[in-house]
Amino acid sequence: MSDVEARSASEERQRRHVSEEWDAVAFGTHCVNCMPGDCPLYVYTKDGKVVREEAAGVIEPNEPGVPDMNPLVCQKGLGWSRELEGPERLLHPMRRSGERGEGRWERISWDEALSEVADAMLDAIEEVGPAAIVTEMSPEIVTVPPTARFTGILGVTVLDVDGTINDFFTGYQQVFGKFSFAASMDDLFHTELLLIWHSNPAHTVIPSFHFITEARYRGAEVALFSTDVNPSHSHVDYHVPVRHGSDAALALAMCQVIVSEGLVDRAFASSQTDLSLLVRTDTDEFLREGHVQEGGRDDRFFQLHPERGLVPAEPANLLLDFAPELEEGCEVKTLDAGTVLVEPLFARVRRLLDAHYTPEQASSVCEAHPETIRMLARKVASRRTRILLGAGVCKYFHGDLMTRSMLLMLGLTGNWGKKGAGVGGWCSSLFDGLSTVMGKTKPGVEGGKELLDGSRMIRDHLVAQDPSLTGELPDRELLKAVTSRSIVPPAFFWYEHAGYKERWNRSDWSDPTMVRKFDDYWREAIASKAWGEVADSTPLTPPRVLLEIGGNTLRRTRGGKKALLENLWPKLDKVVCMDYRMSQTALYADILLPATQHYEKTSFSMPTPWSMVLAMGQAVATPPGEARGEWQVLGDLCKKLAERAEARGLESYPHFSGETRRFDALWDAFTLSGTMADEESAAAAMLADAVTSGNMPQGTTLDTFRRKGHSRYADWSFIALAKANASPFPKNETHSPLRNHIEQGQPYPTLTRRAQFLIDHPWYREAGEDLPVHKEPPPMGGQHPFRLSGGHSRWSIHAMNMSSPLMLETHRGKPFALINEAAAREKGIEDDSLVRIWNDVGEFIVNARLSPAQRPDGLTVYNGFEGFMFPRGRGANEVEPGMVKWLHLVGDYGHLSYAPTEWQPVPFDRCINVDCEPFTGEL
Amino acid sequence: MSGSEKTNEPDTVDRQLAMVIDLNKCLGCQTCTVACKKLWNRDAGTDYAYWNNVETQPGKGYPALWPETGGRSGAGEVKRGEVPDLDSGYGRAWDFNHRAAFESAAKPAGEKAWLQPNEEAHWGANWDEDRGAGHYPEDNHYFYLPRLCNHCTHPACLNACPRHAIYKDKRNGIVLVDQDSCHGYRFCVEACPYKKVYFDPMRQVTTKCLFCLPRIEEGVPMACARQCPGRLRFVGYRDDPEGPIWKLVEKWKVALPLHPEYGLAPNVFYLPPLSPPKLDAAGRPTAEPRIPMYHLESLFGETVGAALETLRSERRKRRRGEPSELMDILIAYDWHKSFALSSEHEVSR
Repeated sequence: MSDVEARSASEERQRRHVSEEWDAVAFGTHCVNCMPGDCPLYVYTKDGKVVREEAAGVIEPNEPGVPDMNPLVCQKGLGWSRELEGPERLLHPMRRSGERGEGRWERISWDEALSEVADAMLDAIEEVGPAAIVTEMSPEIVTVPPTARFTGILGVTVLDVDGTINDFFTGYQQVFGKFSFAASMDDLFHTELLLIWHSNPAHTVIPSFHFITEARYRGAEVALFSTDVNPSHSHVDYHVPVRHGSDAALALAMCQVIVSEGLVDRAFASSQTDLSLLVRTDTDEFLREGHVQEGGRDDRFFQLHPERGLVPAEPANLLLDFAPELEEGCEVKTLDAGTVLVEPLFARVRRLLDAHYTPEQASSVCEAHPETIRMLARKVASRRTRILLGAGVCKYFHGDLMTRSMLLMLGLTGNWGKKGAGVGGWCSSLFDGLSTVMGKTKPGVEGGKELLDGSRMIRDHLVAQDPSLTGELPDRELLKAVTSRSIVPPAFFWYEHAGYKERWNRSDWSDPTMVRKFDDYWREAIASKAWGEVADSTPLTPPRVLLEIGGNTLRRTRGGKKALLENLWPKLDKVVCMDYRMSQTALYADILLPATQHYEKTSFSMPTPWSMVLAMGQAVATPPGEARGEWQVLGDLCKKLAERAEARGLESYPHFSGETRRFDALWDAFTLSGTMADEESAAAAMLADAVTSGNMPQGTTLDTFRRKGHSRYADWSFIALAKANASPFPKNETHSPLRNHIEQGQPYPTLTRRAQFLIDHPWYREAGEDLPVHKEPPPMGGQHPFRLSGGHSRWSIHAMNMSSPLMLETHRGKPFALINEAAAREKGIEDDSLVRIWNDVGEFIVNARLSPAQRPDGLTVYNGFEGFMFPRGRGANEVEPGMVKWLHLVGDYGHLSYAPTEWQPVPFDRCINVDCEPFTGEL
Repeated sequence: MSGSEKTNEPDTVDRQLAMVIDLNKCLGCQTCTVACKKLWNRDAGTDYAYWNNVETQPGKGYPALWPETGGRSGAGEVKRGEVPDLDSGYGRAWDFNHRAAFESAAKPAGEKAWLQPNEEAHWGANWDEDRGAGHYPEDNHYFYLPRLCNHCTHPACLNACPRHAIYKDKRNGIVLVDQDSCHGYRFCVEACPYKKVYFDPMRQVTTKCLFCLPRIEEGVPMACARQCPGRLRFVGYRDDPEGPIWKLVEKWKVALPLHPEYGLAPNVFYLPPLSPPKLDAAGRPTAEPRIPMYHLESLFGETVGAALETLRSERRKRRRGEPSELMDILIAYDWHKSFALSSEHEVSR
């Protein structure tokens, strides 16, 4: 062979390596709980097996002059096909053959498995009722529609997802009355000042991180507030190190600078917030109509007009044609206390800030230099400012106070409802098809239309009854009305059933301003009936069957593995886990049902405003073993329930709606007479409903998705959790939420119909939290010198991908605790050696990763590692007490009331007190 | 597909394909690493090899301490270097014990297995991730350095090969190994001071990044560049005055080769990293960036200061609302335009 030919042969082999490894390519995506998670990919297959995937890069730009979102991908997405045939994949239905958690399984048929599950469910229904069957709403979007439909029809106990995943921002709800809103990720390009706070976007938002660096090139400045010098730090203009849990002091000091230097956007603060509302100086409450007028309402408030004096604060429209008094008060004759001095809330806030939060005062708390505080405060006041506020904040005990303080700063400076400004929460409700298939009772688009028309009728009725319900307000009332009995905040379940009663009543781990026992507040909250019948009855209903469908409670419930295994598991006759992989929870299940995965079934991605597109995954790979889709399995389970019920002579079951429902009608009800019997037909139904409602463009079908991989929405979804975005539907522009409040004066869904900084509830006044203040983090876990925190890792979507060899090889191949290098050496801890981390709750052992970039008293263990990745099977979860804040039990104060995925107590896992030492024992 | 014309005379290539990597956009996510790994080097023999890696700087890098093990080739002279050790230099591809971990979940502490590599693992391609240098909180610093073959104009590997098995593709200057001529002597592995030639012990040949030649031939950018979520990689030909490479390297002089002192004239260029200011003892930001100049100069040569100053001044211009061609290129408004290749930039479907 000649030299030239030999070289050609070598090259040719490499060409073939690329071209011959696949024989088909199709669009795919990942339908998981990921932000944005709408990444269209090309999925390359050969003989029905995925060989690899590649970013499609097909997203059209949203707005001229703003960068596009391509390629829209991350390393997990590119490596996802490894999950399909990974070592954790569940291939066959299995029955536990040893003790729970022993890891011994026997393979059984689908029929046997479903029979066993059905029998356990029927036992529970006969003994207690459907409520003894408990399921967690999984955030894995692919599992949501079939699971919600199934559990809704049966009427089982469904634990609210935002309580179980701890991602609910209490502070957003306290101020805005909602948290389900978010900007499109390209809106960040309009930002002039970005404050990265409780966030590490280099880990958490890999596909959209480029908008940060590109905004910087456009002229934006970026500051990072964090306890550690986290991986996002190299892309910022200022790194401001702060002490754990001191962020409220920092934010309030910035407010103090803004107010004392006259930098307040007074027009914005007056119209958009409660700072112009009058408060009584005798009781510190808002002045209410009921205080001055017999029979007056207690949800109507007042402002002080410079000429006309006391005027009612308009509830239906916030736009003002006058400048209400912000500094001076007046005397008012009240029914209950005679003449009382009232003043605008702004005046009281100013006094609070001047008394306690000068930059010098705050600096001694948060450790940021007063000059830095002043410099950044002035920038906030003069620039379109966005806070990239991570979900870490809501996992601090006083994260609500931090969030309220940050939002006060934005409210004082007119920094939301505008391009590039504001904050964002979590919104995953942009797709009408999701809602219709969960709720409709008749097949076809007629069924979807009936549901939408019904909703519209109730909404119209609500508005007719109260014309002041403008903007999104009737939608929220509708949401509460239609979902009031179907979902329960998990706190009410855990308290009685999962061992948290003892922990939450540990007043030495809680805040010292909780003057009574936690249990007193608990009882009062239950007695108020504010949390509804489900919350009342759940603690009294013995759990018998746990259905985990795409969920992983033993990993993610804060402090949960120990608490749940010791307290909840013994009460459960059957733990059923349907998943594609062996999760921490699957390890302790009784029955395992293998689920299909992305690329193996037709499904849609997370419908978020981040991308403003919906992506579709297709069935291009042959499922391994006997894995099946959730629609099919739950449909089969309906049939099996009917069959087994008949065998024991059981015809019907009581549904929480009051109806008696027949078991033999289950399958028809679930599949709507077979029209939604598998993933493909369900996806088609979702899409048809969304096209009918106008949410998806006319002409959109599964085929158009197959050709393009994704589609833009045509309009907002009808449900309140989408309308919370409160902005015009973006056409040829980026999406910034909350614009309708500013541009049209639409009210906020709060008690005062304004962004609300005062919570004049007696518990809040008692605790000194009626206004945003700084409080020290309570010593959760006991008195120990290190503060343990976490955050999302780079290499996983929660626990998914975490144990993938492909991802493990991109770091050290094991969990680790980041420890300050000098602090570790003082304790004799070497890099990569094992350390024991412990507190009053428990202990775990993990490899140390020494880094100078950690605070000397900080320890970071990223979230998402499964217990089985740690020595002795115990992860950081073991030292978390999973505390909740008693003030979040208030459920009967205006906007502090429950709606699904919103206001509720959620456990904390940041800033846990621990100690550490070299581990020297036997493993 | 026809074979390429080859040349062992580096100056005779028709065009030189090049890449610019903007470190100010790199977030260390390893998507490029995974994109490369999914396409190449998946089987025994090459499973340890990352043609593309991202290492935290300061840090030992991948393979460990590579700048100290290279055979430098100043003025075209080749000097023998070291072949990194599979365990302590590269780190082996790990096998994990998933099954044992699952099967022992409820066993008592002493008998419990947990998920870990079956081998003793003390080094890997990203072992030093996120550690960096400095003291908390005044001057901690680290940044991410993606590395791949530089497709040098004067490749040390090419010169080192007694078999003349390494050549440049005349059409685009990509450095390729003819594995049929390679006898596995590893002189090239020793010689490359960037340590970007790997030995495949199963096939007894060397292997290296080919700039995804088969994709380039179809007008599709490299897997690492095209799938970079941080959008920090620009691809094109050195001589294209309309393309991003020429503008960033020649016109704006902000994209610099790694270790120019090695004398190999790399064709992968880097925009050096800006960094937030150090804090003074009281915690106030100073005027001094956190990443020490000496470290950047040791990586990118003495012109790095001028490149950083250009970046800073253009950024200030943009903040004042003035136009800046440089900032607009780096923003990459239209992602497709980051890749100036000859034909359509679509993935073959």
